Amino acid sequence: MKTIRHFILLSILFISGNTFAQQISKAEVQVNGLTCSMCSKATETSLKSLGFIESITADLNRNVFILTFKPDQQVSIDQIRDKVQDAGFSIGDLSATINFSNTVIDAGGLAQSGGMIFQFINAKSKTLNGLVTAQVMDKDFITNSAFKKKVAELKSDSYLSGKGIVDGKETRIIHLSI
Amino acid sequence: MLGMGLHAHGQELYVFSEPASNMAAKSIGIRINNEGVFNGNAMNRTIPEVMISFNKKLMVHGQAFLSDMDGNYRLEGGSLYAKFRFLSIDETQKHLRAAFFGRLSTSKRPVYTEDINLEGDNSGAQGGLIVTQLLHKLALSGTLSYVKSFEVESHQVNGMPRPDQMINYSLSSGYLVLPVVYKSYNQPNFNVYFEMLGKTNPANGNSYLDCAPAFQVILNSRTRIDLGYRFQVAGDITGRYNKNMYLLRAEFNFFNVLK
Repeated sequence: MKTIRHFILLSILFISGNTFAQQISKAEVQVNGLTCSMCSKATETSLKSLGFIESITADLNRNVFILTFKPDQQVSIDQIRDKVQDAGFSIGDLSATINFSNTVIDAGGLAQSGGMIFQFINAKSKTLNGLVTAQVMDKDFITNSAFKKKVAELKSDSYLSGKGIVDGKETRIIHLSI
Repeated sequence: MLGMGLHAHGQELYVFSEPASNMAAKSIGIRINNEGVFNGNAMNRTIPEVMISFNKKLMVHGQAFLSDMDGNYRLEGGSLYAKFRFLSIDETQKHLRAAFFGRLSTSKRPVYTEDINLEGDNSGAQGGLIVTQLLHKLALSGTLSYVKSFEVESHQVNGMPRPDQMINYSLSSGYLVLPVVYKSYNQPNFNVYFEMLGKTNPANGNSYLDCAPAFQVILNSRTRIDLGYRFQVAGDITGRYNKNMYLLRAEFNFFNVLK
């Protein structure tokens, strides 16, 4: 009985592609502003309070935190950003490893997957399959000076605000670079 | 000393002043401070202190002052300090932080000098600005503040100078000396600090300037031990406080414990 239930669930997940099963399996977060010996510990403690985090490995020399995520929980990169900022610091770079299954990027660079809307700033009209590492380019995921440059280059309202109208609703759009 | 600077990383856990940065949000810190002078009869002051960070911008400290400056060890007074970080700009190799701070203090001590110390010796209020800048490996911080003393007449020693106002200013720098390469959170960190601490009475220009070197050890990334010594290098104010004074501190941090 249990095996049948699992099989049905798996089939649904496989077919629908709109699964809650998390496809972001890992993220490398480079944190800026760490100028005290206790700062990394405070940042790690802040991040650990997020329920979807499986493990945190800190590279104290590069100020990089390698996060792995629980496979059955929705990952929120915005919450990761908030926790780093709560500790008093900021994200310089967040590179996420995402497992795509036949996800289509349309001609405008937009893709939907795992309940999230992605806007690729350097890819369009292709299909993504398997593990892809992408850098998050939104505000507060890169340095302020880098963001200002990108805003001038992209001239996009959704990039400036991190939101856009999708299916008639205002939705969070995550901007990625691969 | 200069040689050490070439391999050092900037550190901003200054010993004689506060950086513009805050503690991590929702965290609590507890300190035991002891400061004293040796001038014939060794006198010292013990200051228990609690620090609470409400969010990434606002933190509050509460202190109690106990000393034997006037006889037997007794409770002299207390102080409330609040710091609000209003600016934080982070780049890869540098950052800039700025904060306003304010302090309100009371003290039972008699007053006999124009110097004002709101951490034990005087009642009064203080307001100021802290700016901390990281440039590559050097974390430099400057503080400027205005101090006003509120003393009841009964505290004033007859015939002696009266406290009224002070402008305080300081410049601090700190360096991570060890470890050279990090292996784990549990490695002890060893930091050294150099701070310049000055005061000027705006009414008459009387001033003094102290140099305050300090050592610091961080254990388990949560516990901090400071040992510093401040000594006068320029100017003087008759009867001034904290002259040639050591400061010893133990601090314990509890991250992410408030809801």
